[in-house]
Formats: sequence, C-alpha cells, structure tokens
Amino acid sequence: MEEVKEEGEEMDVNDCGGGGLEVVRVLVVDDSPVDRKIVEMLLRRSEGIFDVVSVDSGKKAMEVLGLNEIEAKPPNHDDQKIDIVLTDYCMPEMTGLDLLKAVKANSSSRSIPVVMMSSENDSERISSCRAIGAEDFILKPLQVKDVQRLRTYTVPIGPMSKRGSKRKLPMALIAESNGAEARPLLAKVAAFGSAVFLTLNFWRSSVMSSSCN
Amino acid sequence: MALHISSAPPISAFHHLLCFFFHDTYPEMEYASSLQRQLASMKKNLFDQGYLDEQFYQLEELQDESSPNFVEEVVTLFFRDSSRLVANIDQALQKYPQDFRRLDNFMHQLKGSASSIGAAKMKNECTSFREFCNKENREGCLRSFQKVKKEHAVLKQKLENYFQLLRQDGPVDKATRSGN
Repeated sequence: MEEVKEEGEEMDVNDCGGGGLEVVRVLVVDDSPVDRKIVEMLLRRSEGIFDVVSVDSGKKAMEVLGLNEIEAKPPNHDDQKIDIVLTDYCMPEMTGLDLLKAVKANSSSRSIPVVMMSSENDSERISSCRAIGAEDFILKPLQVKDVQRLRTYTVPIGPMSKRGSKRKLPMALIAESNGAEARPLLAKVAAFGSAVFLTLNFWRSSVMSSSCN
Repeated sequence: MALHISSAPPISAFHHLLCFFFHDTYPEMEYASSLQRQLASMKKNLFDQGYLDEQFYQLEELQDESSPNFVEEVVTLFFRDSSRLVANIDQALQKYPQDFRRLDNFMHQLKGSASSIGAAKMKNECTSFREFCNKENREGCLRSFQKVKKEHAVLKQKLENYFQLLRQDGPVDKATRSGN
C-alpha cells in the first residue's frame, strides 16, 4: 500500500486550535498508477489540507477501512482514520460500486463520505451510485476544482457520529503561493531594462538639442 | 525639426550593455534561450498536431519545486503502464473466439490513462477501437489497434525527445551559479 504523508503531520486532526486548518485524511482507491499519482499530487498541492493514503484495489481499501471480513479487524483507530474515500468506479475484481456498497452497509464506516471517479459520463451509473449513498461523482481526469470540493463533503450534518465526524466547517483554502524565489538574474534584467531606458532618453534628448541648434 | 533615424543609438551600444550587465552569464543565457526556443517549438508542434491537449498543461501546473520532474514521472509511468496494456490487447486479439468484453476493458484502461496525460490522438484511437468492440467487429478492432500502437509509438518518441531537451535546459539558477 502506497502512503503519502505530509511532513510533520503529527497534529491531532480534531484540534483546530485558534482557527487552524484541519487535515482531511483521504483514501484514494484507483487501479491506475497514472491516475493515482495525479490525484495524489492534486491533493498534495492543496497546501497540507489533505493527508493522502492511496491503494490500488477495492480489497486493499477494505483493509484500510477495517472492513476486511477475513481478518475481522476492529474499526479503524486514529492512525488509520479516514475522513473521505475517493474511489475509481471501474476496477478489476472489486469495483468502486462494490466498495461503496460495502462502506455504506457497515455501521462503523457508513458515515464516511464516498466520492466516485470515472472517465465515463454514464447517467445510469451516476444515479445508481448516488442512490446507494455516494456524495458525488467526478469525471476523470480530475481538476483542481474537483479536489477543492472534497472538503465540503466532510462537514458534519446533525449530531456527532462515531467515525469521521470530528470535523469543522471548511475554511477557505490557503491561496497557493507562487513559491518562486527572487532570482539574481531578475535583478540584473531589471537593471538592464533601466539602463536601456536611460540610454534611449539620453540619445533622444541629445538629438533633440542638436536639431534645435 | 524631424528626428533623424541615423541618430538612433547604435546596436553595438546595447551589446555592450548586455555584456556589462550579464558578463558572467551571457554565453549561458544565449544557449539557454536557444534551448528554450527549441522546447517551445517542440511543445507547440505537439499541440498543433493534436498529439497533446489541455490536460498536459494541467499536469504542468501541478509541477513545482518540490516535484520538479512530476510531468516526466507521470509520462514515464504512463508509457510503462500503457506498454503492458498494449501487450495484453495484442495477446487477447490473437485468441479465438474473441472476448470483446475483455478487450474493451483493457482499452478502457488505456484510454483512461491516455486521457489523464493529455494524449489526445491516442485517446481518440482508443475510442474508435472501443466502438468496433461494441459492434464485435474483429477486423475493425485489428485495424484500429494498429493505429493505437502507431500513435503510442510516435507519442513515446516525441515525448522522449522533448524531455531529453528539457533536461538539458535545466533550471535557470544552475546557469547563473556556475559562473561564480
């Protein structure tokens, strides 16, 4: 199982402190390594809002969620607490729809929002997923705006429930900083531009004065 | 009195200014800008000829200083995965009777990955193949698959060339620091 963690993310996900952003732990399920990598990056670029766990099959997702029938694990403890599941629809053996059904059928995981991803814009597929309890159905390839929407699905509705309920209202995403550091070359370009401007002005004024004479 | 054109500052003055301000980096700058022109031209051709679409730009937007080779990594991953899928489809096409559902599954995966990296022509050929699959037209599948393989090979070569040139270009900072 591939795991993507933010550095230094030891903070208690339930503690918002003085208005700090709460980390949302996302379980990404996709058999495509390309799509997994892209989704991980999309989530990572959301300025530490998402903590990502990614797996390549529905079966492994069940293990992470503690829904593996064979091992009969107890519900996930804090170290594997998942706030939201983002799963591909079409996967071999256990499809995203099977996973959705399993999550919603189990009392310990029922409250975890599940968002489906698919490259097919199939209205029947979308309807059936929503009827079973999917929060949303996103068309692939995912975009930044799709990832930003994920936070809205982790807002608690009504009284607290056992799993994935320790969430606050979503706060505005931190604006992405460009991250570009000032480069010495830019300073040189600016100085060069100024010198060109001054030179041109000098030449123009000298020509003007000579023509008047 | 009219301004005489001959009174314009000589071009050599600008050359002196360039050398004065960028004396330690001017040769590297010329080489870097030539590479960048080549890269820009290559990328433009890839888009103009329909090999890539908007999704490739989206990947580039995700690349940052903490993941400076993200796009190349994704593309490399794509070609590794897609080569496996192409081999699977090749094998499946040799079998008789044809399992069109299995073929369609493989091609669905290939199309999805192609779409994710912005490989427009490949995606379109995958769509054609799936249409033949749905009609259970084996001859159509075989013809279409040849096109898929061709587009796959062409795109692979073009992107390999592109990233090779991109690696030569490197980050700007390296060029300026090397002159110190």
